[in-house]
Amino acid sequence: MKYRVLTCLLATVLVWPIVGAQRAAPLHVVSVALSPRDSAVHALNRLAYGPRPGEADRVAAEGVMHWIDRQLVPRKMDDGALARREHDFRILEYDRGDLAGMYAEVQRERRERKQTANQASDTTVTPREQTARRLAGQFQELAVVRAALSERQLYEVMVDFWTNHFNVYFAKGADRFLTPDYIEHTIRPKAMGKFEDLLIATAESPAMLFYLDNWESVAPGSVPPAAMRVRARPLFGRRPAVFGLPPRDPAEQDSMRQRALQRAPQGINENYARELLELHTLGVDGGYTQQDVIEVARIFTGWSIQRPQQGGNFEFHDWAHDTGEKQVLGIRFEGGRGQDEGVRLLKLLANLPATMHHVSWKLCQRFVNDDPPDGCVDDAVAAWKRSKGDIREVLRAIVSGPDFWAARNVRAKVKTPLEFVVSALRAVGADPDTTARLAQVVARLGEPLYLHVAPDGYPEMEAAWVNSGALLDRMNAGVALAAGKLPGVTVTPDSLLYAMASPDELIAAVDREILGGTMSGNTKQVIKRQLADIRDPQQARALAIGLALGGPEFQRQ
Amino acid sequence: MSISRRIFVKAGGLALVSLGLDPLFLARAAYASYRPLPPSTALSRPVLVCLFQRGAVDGLNMIVPHGDPLYYRERPRIAVPATDVVDLDGYFGLHPRLAALKPLWDSKTLAIVHAIGSPNATRSHFDAQDYMESGTPGVKATPDGWLNRYCQHDREHQDTPFRAVAFGPQLPRILAGTAPALAIDDLQAFGLRAPQPAARDRLTRAFEELYAGSSTGLLSSSSQEAFEAVQTLQRVDPTQYQPAEGADYPRGRLGKAVLEIAQLIKADVGLQVAFADVTGWDTHVNQGGGDGQLATRLAELGQALAAFSRDLGERMRDVVVLTMSEFGRTVRENGNAGTDHGHATAMLVLGGPVRGGRMLGRWPGLDPAQRFEGRDLAVTTDFRDLFAELLARHMGATGLDAIFPGFMPDPARFPGAISA
Repeated sequence: MKYRVLTCLLATVLVWPIVGAQRAAPLHVVSVALSPRDSAVHALNRLAYGPRPGEADRVAAEGVMHWIDRQLVPRKMDDGALARREHDFRILEYDRGDLAGMYAEVQRERRERKQTANQASDTTVTPREQTARRLAGQFQELAVVRAALSERQLYEVMVDFWTNHFNVYFAKGADRFLTPDYIEHTIRPKAMGKFEDLLIATAESPAMLFYLDNWESVAPGSVPPAAMRVRARPLFGRRPAVFGLPPRDPAEQDSMRQRALQRAPQGINENYARELLELHTLGVDGGYTQQDVIEVARIFTGWSIQRPQQGGNFEFHDWAHDTGEKQVLGIRFEGGRGQDEGVRLLKLLANLPATMHHVSWKLCQRFVNDDPPDGCVDDAVAAWKRSKGDIREVLRAIVSGPDFWAARNVRAKVKTPLEFVVSALRAVGADPDTTARLAQVVARLGEPLYLHVAPDGYPEMEAAWVNSGALLDRMNAGVALAAGKLPGVTVTPDSLLYAMASPDELIAAVDREILGGTMSGNTKQVIKRQLADIRDPQQARALAIGLALGGPEFQRQ
Repeated sequence: MSISRRIFVKAGGLALVSLGLDPLFLARAAYASYRPLPPSTALSRPVLVCLFQRGAVDGLNMIVPHGDPLYYRERPRIAVPATDVVDLDGYFGLHPRLAALKPLWDSKTLAIVHAIGSPNATRSHFDAQDYMESGTPGVKATPDGWLNRYCQHDREHQDTPFRAVAFGPQLPRILAGTAPALAIDDLQAFGLRAPQPAARDRLTRAFEELYAGSSTGLLSSSSQEAFEAVQTLQRVDPTQYQPAEGADYPRGRLGKAVLEIAQLIKADVGLQVAFADVTGWDTHVNQGGGDGQLATRLAELGQALAAFSRDLGERMRDVVVLTMSEFGRTVRENGNAGTDHGHATAMLVLGGPVRGGRMLGRWPGLDPAQRFEGRDLAVTTDFRDLFAELLARHMGATGLDAIFPGFMPDPARFPGAISA
């Protein structure tokens, strides 16, 4: 205990001067390559979803490191405008239980319809189903709206990062009603805390337990308590649930019991265990074996979920837990400790060197370069060690290091579809509504939100996003947005720049406000030629902005 | 491309790496700028269509070893009943929902390779897919995919933007690399959109100039490919397409992708390599036997392949379709009436050039002693042997060892899907 206190003190002492000094140090680094405005644009491109009108100047005036400091403490930032907008999103009024109940009802209606309908292809949509669909669309749209409107930009960027790191698939059975709660109550509250807490929260989240099948991983030979037997298996989605139907005769009940027992989980499922090691913590080269995967799966037997009509909360099933001793990575886990074994394992994994390296590498890839520089990763790992996995300290180390500001890393990354759409909305000061239409644009560009089917989440590599089809769609989206013709969003271009008669002035304004001063000579010439025969200043403005948003400079960050 | 140009690309690439520019762009730009004029005719090119069953299909329920009692013993809840299997040779049979493929087997245009897979033991979807697409099992650093390397290697047909097309929103790993390749999510919506054709053409030209003059890296090469493709599609007009012979494509992504592949083949735009994903095979829970989850996916696959074959008719003489999947699934069903990640699986090869109506590869049996690590169907055919055979004997590729580095493809090991 004494030792621990001492370490804490030491850590504080060690970290403190770095925190204090970083305001000056990187500024020095910045001044070598980037002007204050350029460094503000760079920070807004990487740590935020791009600058809004006038924002680059404001951040430059404030001092970019001061702005970053504020972004690292999102709680202290006022975000009233977003909070007011969130009131329009009814999805936020539904908790997991409400959504679970609605989902169960939709399933029941669908089943009843199937039983009564003459033909199998009954495609009518009930009002409740419509509501469920609208809420699902709102949930996706909310991600776009928060990213576009929040003052807590770095926080929103981190929410997106962890959403992909701890990916779940919104369209898999119960995850249709578990995912919104997962984002609200598992990812968002812990996105800027300790990695360990986030890891444990995801492990206990019903959304993850369902997505990676752990909820039905049981010790071989274990039998659910007698009272549960008849309802033992047909729970979520894939099989119709049995509640809500009229009572059955005893013979039918007997055969149902038989079928339920047959479908009951009968052994371990390795899916979560494997992805926990490969993706969430150690990384694929993290030095674990197939046997480690099995042992981890044994530790997590019994980590399960309630039935949807009971709210679908986390539930530990003693009866399903493997009580034997386990060995993971050569470390012994005494049997019979129930849920604590899993928590102990997660705490261990959260702070192993392989985990620090793997997650730091991904953070550097997100913030610095698709091919992260070693120095960035080393700095991040060192901060992780010092701070025991405090995500904010790891971020601070990354943005305080020379790699973040190095000329070769500025504008070195191509925006993901979400980053492209949100940065375009921000660039023109657009006002999105609550329909799913902007989320649909993001989907068309290749990134349907919460719908990456594989547990590795959406990639950070430009090769994954840059292809001819997606590029044409980005051009289309840019032109439509600038013309005020993108559905689901209101654009008031006057708030960005006044329509003006001189093409040269217009082009200079677009360069400054939308492209952060990066417009190439060629782009200027092309836009100027396009403007030559356009007499209407509003049309000219729309075309110039559209070409800038769809053009090559705006695809980079 | 002459040797001196190749050296230029290599040296220029190295020089620019230090400036932070992507050498991939350079190589692609080199291809683009030395590309000959559009083709006058593109008839009778060999075409290879690859469908990737992502998520690891259960080969044992797709192509059922119904002659083996062990199959039924290991899968009490999910085995396909022998009475339902569409028998092929007395021992193996098609899953009943693949019945649409039986006529192709009978007409000897469908061959099946069983117990095929990777020499690498990984049971990670991501690693295994990566290896199957890079064509270098066990080596993660390979920068490109084997289909792209085929395109790099064989430049005879690189005169069209439609030479290699992935149908989907993203270019997959298998087609990533220095040779140009297109990703098309929706053929009809491909291009700039504007109310009038004149406005559309003006926008197209403007963006073409923007990207030609200001973009770097992949943005440059991808946009160049995009604008060439837009031009070609304007001639073809995909909105007018009607499948032949009443071919009935299934609804959904797969049906749409396969239909668009058929469309491009018939439009003679020079399509040589086509790729599409088929998802939904990761059946850990309640995968079902003759009916259920897996059956539904197989029905869609069977219907899509049958419709494709019918639609193309005579044109199938130039076409080979290959299905692939990263690994198979456990021989024994798991606790959730599903199957977990396994090792070998089965692949289908169909088309005019195929020596069909035959099961290919050596069957290792289901006996636990014969299994991989005691639990999974063992791999007796390295997937590269089949891929290399299709490239060599169907596509006419030479230089296979460059396409599958470190492998040394050997015709003696080819499974025999195509006549030598």
